[in-house]
Amino acid sequence: MWRRLFPLSLAEWRHHPWRHGVAMLAVALGVALASSVQLINHSALSEFAQAVRSANGEPDLVLAARDRAGLDEALMGTLSADEQVATASPVLEIDSQARPTTDEAAGQAEESTRRPTKQPPGGRTTLRLPDDPRVSVRVMGIDALQLARVAPALMPRPASGAAMTAAIDPGLAWLNPAARQRLGVADGASIELQSSTGWHRLRVGGSVAAGGGPLVVLDLSAAQQHFQRMGRLSRIDVQLVSGVDREAWRMGLTLPSEVQLAAADDAVQRVSNLSRAYRVNLGVLALVALLVGGFLVYSVVSLSVAQRTPQLALLGVLGLSARERRSWVLAESAVLGAIGSALGLAVGAGLAAMALRLLGGDLGGGYFPGVAPQLAWPLDALFMCWALGTAAAVVGAWWPARQAEALQPAQALKGLGQGAPSAAARWPVLAMLLGAVGLACLPPVAGLPLAAYASVAMLLAGGVAGVPWAVQAVLAWHGHRGRSAGRLGNGVLAWLAWRRARFARQTASATVAGVVASLALSVALTVMVGSFREAVNEWLDTVLPADLYARSSASAAAADQTALPEAFLAAAQGLAGVKAVQASRVVPMTIDPRQPAVVLIARPLPDPARNLAMLGAVLPARPGELSVFVSEPAAALYGWSAGAVIRLPLAGAERPARVRGIWRDYSRQFGAVAMELGDFQALGGDRRLNDLALWLEPGASVASVDAALRRLAGADHPLDTASTIDLRRISLTIFDRSFAVTRYLQVVAIAVGLVGVAASLSAQVLARRKEFGLLAHLGFTRRQTIVLVTLESLAWLAAGCLVGVALGLAIAVVLVQVVNPQSFHWTMPMQVPGWRLVFLSVAVLAAGGATAAFSARRAATRHAVQAVKEDW
Amino acid sequence: MNPRRTWLALQAALWAASTTAGRTTFAAPPADDEVRPDRALAFPRDHGAHPACRIEWWYATGWLAEPGSAQRHGFQLTFFRSRTGLGGDLPGQQVPRQLLFAHAALTELKPGGHRHAQRLARWNGNEPLPGHLTAAASIQDTALRLGAWRLARRPNPKGSVYAARLAAPEAGFTLDLQMASSQPVLLQGHGGYSLKGPPVPAGGPAHASHYYSQPQLAVIGRIDTDGRSREVNGRAWLDHEWSNALMPAAAVGWDWIGINLTDGGALTAFVLRRADGQPVWAGGSHRAAGAEVRSFAAGEVSFAALRHWVSPQTGGRYPVRWRITTPAGVHELEALLDAQELDSRRSTGAVYWEGLSELRDLDGRRVGLGYLEMTGYVGALRLG
Repeated sequence: MWRRLFPLSLAEWRHHPWRHGVAMLAVALGVALASSVQLINHSALSEFAQAVRSANGEPDLVLAARDRAGLDEALMGTLSADEQVATASPVLEIDSQARPTTDEAAGQAEESTRRPTKQPPGGRTTLRLPDDPRVSVRVMGIDALQLARVAPALMPRPASGAAMTAAIDPGLAWLNPAARQRLGVADGASIELQSSTGWHRLRVGGSVAAGGGPLVVLDLSAAQQHFQRMGRLSRIDVQLVSGVDREAWRMGLTLPSEVQLAAADDAVQRVSNLSRAYRVNLGVLALVALLVGGFLVYSVVSLSVAQRTPQLALLGVLGLSARERRSWVLAESAVLGAIGSALGLAVGAGLAAMALRLLGGDLGGGYFPGVAPQLAWPLDALFMCWALGTAAAVVGAWWPARQAEALQPAQALKGLGQGAPSAAARWPVLAMLLGAVGLACLPPVAGLPLAAYASVAMLLAGGVAGVPWAVQAVLAWHGHRGRSAGRLGNGVLAWLAWRRARFARQTASATVAGVVASLALSVALTVMVGSFREAVNEWLDTVLPADLYARSSASAAAADQTALPEAFLAAAQGLAGVKAVQASRVVPMTIDPRQPAVVLIARPLPDPARNLAMLGAVLPARPGELSVFVSEPAAALYGWSAGAVIRLPLAGAERPARVRGIWRDYSRQFGAVAMELGDFQALGGDRRLNDLALWLEPGASVASVDAALRRLAGADHPLDTASTIDLRRISLTIFDRSFAVTRYLQVVAIAVGLVGVAASLSAQVLARRKEFGLLAHLGFTRRQTIVLVTLESLAWLAAGCLVGVALGLAIAVVLVQVVNPQSFHWTMPMQVPGWRLVFLSVAVLAAGGATAAFSARRAATRHAVQAVKEDW
Repeated sequence: MNPRRTWLALQAALWAASTTAGRTTFAAPPADDEVRPDRALAFPRDHGAHPACRIEWWYATGWLAEPGSAQRHGFQLTFFRSRTGLGGDLPGQQVPRQLLFAHAALTELKPGGHRHAQRLARWNGNEPLPGHLTAAASIQDTALRLGAWRLARRPNPKGSVYAARLAAPEAGFTLDLQMASSQPVLLQGHGGYSLKGPPVPAGGPAHASHYYSQPQLAVIGRIDTDGRSREVNGRAWLDHEWSNALMPAAAVGWDWIGINLTDGGALTAFVLRRADGQPVWAGGSHRAAGAEVRSFAAGEVSFAALRHWVSPQTGGRYPVRWRITTPAGVHELEALLDAQELDSRRSTGAVYWEGLSELRDLDGRRVGLGYLEMTGYVGALRLG
């Protein structure tokens, strides 16, 4: 039977390629977005994981230091003396910065022959490269003698002709491809690594194979010396003798408190967590796009069923059962969805490849610095995307399929049973809206706001299902005015349009579903991004009170090595034009090895309520207790609350600290802890500094103070400086860039919605040829028919816009109040940019009206008389 | 160049230390570690390491048998030390000023199996903190640690007891031996100063080492093979030698024997070979039981190959039966198992033959049992 029905479907598709094509494209679009997000993220993560694996090798287990203070290398003696241990490979990891040597002394004989003309005449002066030559690098101190079996990718590969003991030469550095490329140095050239004691020169001995971001491998002894970590290690990779039971061996192991057993995949997990919220949010946006696609399928299939009612009725009379009619419609949609989804996967792969090349693995989010991933194929996730796309099409066709099932063939053949305004059941709409409210109140699942997303989907579904109801309500109210307007002239047309719009309101759902869904999505995103931007803007006022900012390195991870000496503060204070200087120390702090590090900011806090963007009141300090202020994300991630006593790894020990307040922080998504600089310095005696905030004398030039400050710091401490204006601009630019993808999504969603309007209108106009023929007989001109159809559509669109905006606002509430706190751990006050919403609605209405007019004009060119004849 | 090859090359560097001496500048070794004809060996200090010297080894070889069984096994355990010239004045425990590496081998004559394993680690050259380092050597006395491998001497009424434990699970064997001296220390050469090449005419430093042996060590202990543990006892020979150069530039390798004679005597003989097989230098000694040691002059020792064995792994063609002429007489030496080559090219890079052999008089009677060592048969033992 299916074989006989298939040609009928094929004929339908052939007759209305545009309509079905659009439905298919809508599904394809959703699938494309979802799959490209999956692909990009999977590629970036697997690239990173591979880099981590090759750098970490595949040890049986890893004994890792609990915090950055490291572990005592004496553990190496214990491990290597154990006959059950085949290899114990020590590693010291440090984040720092590297630069190619640029001054004269670096050259020595070999280099001056290579670069003869780079010195300025008579210059002992240090050459500064035009752009900052510093590269953030990971430094790994290794023992090449123990490494080979555990992590061959870190094994030094000497340039040919090197001395045979080169691999353990503490004077040599080994660069991975990324470091080599970023530093632009050849074997035999010199590089310098920055540590808190200054810059240390090393000769490039050769390379290491490890991929990923810039990596510089040194001999362990050199790393310990240059980075002031004598006797300390970050981790020991252990390979057991084959046949030794890992668990039993672990049981027999007593580890010092500073050491923990780490899984080899902790780093991968941490990076996965890093981008998780971002990725899931993008993924869910894609799913919402898919939902819009589903609504479009609903529109198209509804109309297709309505239009093919005679055909279905005839088939019914010929013996096609009700259930078979339903299955047929569903099967058609499934085929449509499957093809659309496959198309979507192809487009998604293309998008992903392009995005990886242009934006990097985090879509500009900044989570995977230095990773240039290859496209990787997460087949299961891609299959899921495909299945979801197909399912969306099937679900979209569910209601029309039920209509095809419920068809009374005999009545339908006579042209009856159509267009009669049946009272729409209101309870599903209400149930869905109430369900949405309930879901929005649920807590996150595994740190992700899944319930909130379900709530958004419910709101959309309920909203679209409620369109007829809204049309009725809106037009009932609008009707009184319409009738009074009718008396004034051109009334019949408007009256007809209004009557039809009101009574054929079931069709309205199909026509404007896409518009409602896409407008709701756009409104929600506009409100959410607008609120966020405004909140960031206000927050920047609080966090940027000074005129000029300087920091020792762009990355907090390298802050330890790039710190400025304490004396620098006093010197900066003495600069001409500087009124006041405030210094802070920034140290990364690991609370949980599977989470990205929290940033500890030690800075003067004379009045925490004003120095930090506090949420709520500041609790009074208690004598004898260490006070800290935790950022909102830190509080959410680690369950810290104001007034609680938390334990922080500070200055090599776990110390209790009282949380005196929670502050708003939009820049460090993985948490920050602020404390008084004096308290921090008293704890560990670490008096170095990273960041400076400078207030200038009135009339002092920012540029000249900036230049003086850089001179003061000298070549040993290259500074990143920025004026407040620059910082604000940069911050907002970064903000806009990271939300750019949502803007594109809005545009695409609205375009899809409008295409839906066009498709369903042309379908309707075609379906109503009989009606138009009759109107022509009654004296309607073609123009009047077009106006009639346009007016009808406008009525629906107006109702749709109202519903869309209302839904959008509801979704925005969920996004702002639930999704953001749950996934990014920050809150913001909701701001409704009224004019932008009005503009958006008017734009949609105008575009919808134009679409309707265009579709009606195209449809009405058919011969009206011919159409009326068809009936006889 | 792949990582493995690099590691291999690193190993080769140890062997080749002599040829790179000219290129790397070394601070003059402390007087105590200098190799000089007039330096008298003093014990127990000279049982310990001499880190200022380029190369040094403790080399124990011998045979083992289960009590009541005539079935013999050969064993070899060696700790090498090499000064890298790296690290300068860097502080810290991890500075690779010294490399320590060790080889262990066990030969089962029937059915004829030869297992070997090795370890390698860095040492900063300072007196070790107890238990803190992966590898260390004491300068007070023989006390070597390399990962889990150990060799340590303690005094006993007859002189010394060496305790060695080397577990090589990757090769399926463990040596756990106590080797007790039954005779006084045997000083090779002139009071422990052993020439390894002709005197240098210009008065420069001659190729020489400080070298003493501990022959006729009584062994008791235990060996494990593939999880089977056995009590064993036997006889061993230990050499301790340190120098600043491996061999003269003209030499490619050497042949050496250290034989515990059945009459309680000890016979040492060696020859340094050129690429064409002609000797560059030779030497050795004989000490009859209870007598004084008699050192051989270079011209008094000769080795003549009688039968060869070709290694299927490396293609090396090793003489496994020799006629050896020394002032102690003319003997024939024959390997008790031909295949006793240590082919470590894939790991530590060194290839040499070291195996249990039998010394016979011209009537064919066994007069001694000990070890034959042959180097430089697979490529010259140096850097290219």
